Amino acid sequence: MLEQQLVNGLTLGVIYALIAVGYTMVYGVIELINFAHGEIYMLGAFFCVSFITVVGLPLWVAIPCAMICCALLGIAIDIFAYRPIRKAHRLAALITAIGMSIFLQNLAMVIWGSRPRAFPQEAVPAFFSEQAFAFSDVTITWLHLFIFGITFSMMIGLFLIISKTRVGTAMRALAQNRTCCQLMGINVNRVISFTFVLGSAMGAMAGILVALFYNTLYPTMGYVAGVKAFAAAVLGGIGSVPGAMFGGIVLGIAEALGAGYVSSLYRDGVAYAVLIAVIIFRPSGILGKALVDKA
Amino acid sequence: MKKIVQILVAAAMTLLLAGPAMAEEPIKIAVPSPFSGGAAAYGDNVKAGVAMKIAEVNEAGGIDGRMIEAVYLDEMCEPKEAATVASKIAQDDSIIGGVGHLCSSAHLAALPTYVRKGIPMISPTATNVTISEKNKDRDGRVWSFRDVYRDDYQGKFLARYVSEVLGLKKIAIFYENNDYGIGLKDAFSGEAGNVGLEVVGSEGYMKGTTDFTPQLTSLKSDNPDGLFISGYYNEGALIANQAKKLGMDVIKFGADGLDNVDYINLAKDAADGTYMTVPFLADAAGEDAQVFIAKFKEETGRDVDWMSANAYDAAGMLIAAIREVGADRAKVQEYLAAMTTPEKGYQGVTGLTYFDEHGDAQKAAYVKMVKDGEFIPAPEQLN
Repeated sequence: MLEQQLVNGLTLGVIYALIAVGYTMVYGVIELINFAHGEIYMLGAFFCVSFITVVGLPLWVAIPCAMICCALLGIAIDIFAYRPIRKAHRLAALITAIGMSIFLQNLAMVIWGSRPRAFPQEAVPAFFSEQAFAFSDVTITWLHLFIFGITFSMMIGLFLIISKTRVGTAMRALAQNRTCCQLMGINVNRVISFTFVLGSAMGAMAGILVALFYNTLYPTMGYVAGVKAFAAAVLGGIGSVPGAMFGGIVLGIAEALGAGYVSSLYRDGVAYAVLIAVIIFRPSGILGKALVDKA
Repeated sequence: MKKIVQILVAAAMTLLLAGPAMAEEPIKIAVPSPFSGGAAAYGDNVKAGVAMKIAEVNEAGGIDGRMIEAVYLDEMCEPKEAATVASKIAQDDSIIGGVGHLCSSAHLAALPTYVRKGIPMISPTATNVTISEKNKDRDGRVWSFRDVYRDDYQGKFLARYVSEVLGLKKIAIFYENNDYGIGLKDAFSGEAGNVGLEVVGSEGYMKGTTDFTPQLTSLKSDNPDGLFISGYYNEGALIANQAKKLGMDVIKFGADGLDNVDYINLAKDAADGTYMTVPFLADAAGEDAQVFIAKFKEETGRDVDWMSANAYDAAGMLIAAIREVGADRAKVQEYLAAMTTPEKGYQGVTGLTYFDEHGDAQKAAYVKMVKDGEFIPAPEQLN
């Protein structure tokens, strides 16, 4: 039973990690908690399903298309909602982000209706639900493996982009000092847009994976996932990409074990208890560096 | 400048003259239900039923030429919002009564306002037991009625059904942590011992949860032969689906919260072999009801669910009362409270409805099941 709980937790955790990476990157470069990120995740799932049912694309084409849509949407949100108040007080940006989240959630409800939808089964390969491995009592389906495979390869890809490319270097530089970056001739807005592209595409992927895994998508699905991913980002140390990945996985496993062994009513409680403990004992997060105040 | 004044005066005159000639003020009915947030889909079901009834009445000329107008108030199934919405209804004197609330928790929170201000409400869906005790004012007048049975009846009925008809022995329970889920679970667990059922595990969850695998994994080790889903179809479908993925091959059953075609859409083949109690069974309904069922499908493009049918009847009952005694809150209450015998009852698509002294309808429960991806009446009913 413990092994199965670990598999459950890991599945949940890698998906949290995918969303958390988006939070943490945006926070890293513009110090904004982008609460609309949960809605990007929800829209990713809805775009993907619409590409399949309305346009008639196969799953393998619909997924990248949905990711591209969400990436563009991420840029649009930044340009229309966050860029105009870039120099305003941080609280203004936070409230704008919450407003954006409510707006997108209700927009989705207007477009797709409030009823929960099923993922179109005819588009999903049949072998996904078949068992891939079985040892003792543990069930791992091909879909589990697909989720692990996709998330880990995306994270490795992200890691390479951030550490090896010019734009990745610019992102890291921006996270350290925006004014200096401008002085060095970096097009700051372009780098921020690129951050939104990466984060939103990964968030969209997470939404699609969740919709595939649970066979359900609904307009309010982004809220809880967003809050959990935010918790994961803080847990790992907000601003740190490896931290977000690590935080997501820890949170997923903590939740699964909490729900499985303590009480399922406390599953969110366990997640937040872990979060509070980290904030109290290690405010910079598990993998975050203790920040020297910029003032 | 002079010309503009002339035009304005002329316009004002036209408006003044047209005023009395316009049709009379519509009669307003409040429909407080969740239309956004996590339970919005259920609110959608209720809205469809009420809207259909009102459209029918209005097409036939309304009540003495006055149209009926529904005022949809969104309370997101949240008690806090429901209380706010209730005072909004109380302040609007043109609202005669209402159909709602949908969720028991929301209804309970709004109830004190209706009782204090004297507004007759008919809930099509709130099944929680405590509503019966809190719906009377100081003079003992009932203000909140419901055309649906109570959870204690339903929970006990389910326990008897799965034991006597399905022959189950060990039951695992999943319950939604709200008034509906807990009330139903408690009634079921209370009866379980009497009918020889053993409850091997009981797991709560919050609305909007998507992952149930940890709880299912721990329930699986108890080897239950039945899985009781005491909640709504949205989460119920996920539970059924994930149970199947974990290799739990058990009979699933639940109450009216599961009854919606979306349960099958979302749970796919994992929905097969699910039994549920419903206050309205399309296949067993009378001829009038068949017309309604066909029309509902034509207008909404989906099969009718019990929430829509009950809401259709609740609206019908309220409109019948207004037609009989006029648009007056107190008189409507008197009329509804006097519907205590089958003779004075209301004949709707869900059958005959009449109330006991607590405003609770005496309705039978039917059992339906999912077979090969479709709802069918369970082969054996229990009465």
